[in-house]
Amino acid sequence: MKRQQIINGVIALVIGVLIFVTPFIFIGLTAVKSAAEASQLGLSWPSEWLFWDNLVAVIQARNYMLLLAYFNSTVITVGAISLLVISAAMIGYVIQRRPSKWNGFIYALILAGLMIPPAVVPTIWLLKELHLFKTLHGMILIQVAYGLSFSVLLFRSFIASIPRDLDEAAIIDGAKPWQVFFKVILPLLKPVTVTVILVQSVTIFNDFTNPLYYLPGKDNVTVQLTLYNFQSQFSSQMNLLFMNILLVTIPPLIMFIFFNKQIVKGMTAGAVKG
Amino acid sequence: MATVRLKNIHKEFNGVKILKGIDLDVNDGEFCVFVGPSGCGKSTLLRIISGLEDATSGTIEIGEKDVTKSDPIDRGIAMVFQSYALYPHLTVRDNIGFGLSLAKRPKSEIKERVNAAAEMLQLESLLDRKPKDLSGGQRQRVAIGRAIVREPEVFLFDEPLSNLDAALRSKMRIELTELHATLNATMIYVTHDQIEAMTMADKIVVLNAGHIEQVGTPMELYHHPQTPFVAGFIGSPKMNLFEGAIAKEHNADLYGIRPEHLTLSPKEGKWKGVVKHIEQLGADAIVHIHVESLGMLVARADGDFSITAGSTIYATPQEGKEHLF
Ligand SMILES: Nc1ncnc2c1ncn2[C@@H]1O[C@H](COP(=O)(O)OP(=O)(O)OP(=O)(O)O)[C@@H](O)[C@H]1O
Ligand SMILES: [Mg+2]
Repeated sequence: MKRQQIINGVIALVIGVLIFVTPFIFIGLTAVKSAAEASQLGLSWPSEWLFWDNLVAVIQARNYMLLLAYFNSTVITVGAISLLVISAAMIGYVIQRRPSKWNGFIYALILAGLMIPPAVVPTIWLLKELHLFKTLHGMILIQVAYGLSFSVLLFRSFIASIPRDLDEAAIIDGAKPWQVFFKVILPLLKPVTVTVILVQSVTIFNDFTNPLYYLPGKDNVTVQLTLYNFQSQFSSQMNLLFMNILLVTIPPLIMFIFFNKQIVKGMTAGAVKG
Repeated sequence: MATVRLKNIHKEFNGVKILKGIDLDVNDGEFCVFVGPSGCGKSTLLRIISGLEDATSGTIEIGEKDVTKSDPIDRGIAMVFQSYALYPHLTVRDNIGFGLSLAKRPKSEIKERVNAAAEMLQLESLLDRKPKDLSGGQRQRVAIGRAIVREPEVFLFDEPLSNLDAALRSKMRIELTELHATLNATMIYVTHDQIEAMTMADKIVVLNAGHIEQVGTPMELYHHPQTPFVAGFIGSPKMNLFEGAIAKEHNADLYGIRPEHLTLSPKEGKWKGVVKHIEQLGADAIVHIHVESLGMLVARADGDFSITAGSTIYATPQEGKEHLF
């Protein structure tokens, strides 16, 4: 029995490695090969390591497009996350703490935000009307809108586990409503806030389709779009394409590896003890 | 310091009447205790006084000033919650000083007042800890410190001791009584524990199902309960209450006698019964007796009074100690 379990475990591990790790190895190997070698698309060992050459080539491509893309993606991610965290925490707080006859309607909207797929053409029309089409701040607002429902739900359920007595104690101590939120509630939201920041920033940073629809134009390129833009150019240079993939994949991967525990904690964390 | 005057307070939650016309005067410097069974509206009344809840109708005056529509901070009150409600992310020092820093008091003044409050409550060595690193009794003290540092005119307590163990509770009862003597402030204290009410109160307000049953000093309520509810609620073990023949005999609907006002004898007495059960408390023993004509009768006997379950016993009510309703 014991032996059987070990064998099963090993089999599972091998399958896991094959499915999850092989692609990374493939990307890593291809990224350091020469163009000719890379075009064979195999898992063979590179005959010469061209890591540095490929890296420089990718960064310099199309007038340093990758650097511009990193800049744009960072602006979008940081901007959207800041707005998302503040507004989701506030919305979650208000709908949890102050039930009103509007709450049913608000929940319906939140669920709609989770379930109904966004319609691209009307959104573009709306963005154009608001003069936000092809702008970074327009893209930020789109990302906030897409991430808001999920974040609000996370914040709301976490706030529900904070005893209402705390709010009331603060009110007795003379706190205005905004002070109750910023001085008492917000500091207690750290675990969910970390989760929302990590999950959403990876999502936004990795987003490909939304920037493709809403942020066309050479100057507006984001990190994921560089792949698309480079694909035609690099079709004969698979090594560069994969070097690009490697560069684009690494930041979110690092986030997940380092903060994995935090994310789970924030998802499941409950009442503040003490 | 201030008086608290409630006039005809009504409170409804979603059309359900919870408080049905409360009129009450709490005098300056008085320790007033609200007691009553669970759900009778004690906390609701306290929250209305604090301003956390609005009364459906009626007025509240604190220190001769109508505060019915005022915010809690403008009422000159401080409140201690049953759950303590300490801010988990702040140190004890910042918890106590929170109200002062919101009021934008100078740093030096906050420090001074926090230290003074901490000294009064023996919290000096704990000032830099977070609430999660404190014991229940210490948290309780911090919650009280947070109240006294603001020097309110009226203190409100909602079952502050109910999360403590019995020994600590009786210690805190004494500390609170001493605190009241030192500060000489008006205090309103909610509890469902009649021992707390009896031991601490200058004035007890017995609430039942949203109205006041009786207001009086602990001994007034003990000796002269005006309603059967108060008679049954104040005193432990509960007063024996009987309808029927024994009540008729005294031209009343209800006849009551406290367990401590029954004399037990193995030989002779007014009521003959069988001992069903004995609760031995050491100093005294609570004896449950089944009397044919009355039903179950509870009596308090000396701890060394020797009886056994199943034996026959006689109980005699002491002259003039009966209560008739
Ligand atoms: N926010 C509310 N909404 C609806 N009903 C409420 C609300 N707060 C209190 N009640 C009801 O009012 C009644 C009195 O509640 P309250 O908390 O004042 O009781 P209490 O005397 O303090 O009881 P306990 O000793 O159990 O604390 C209860 O029946 C309760 O269900
Ligand atoms: Mg209560």
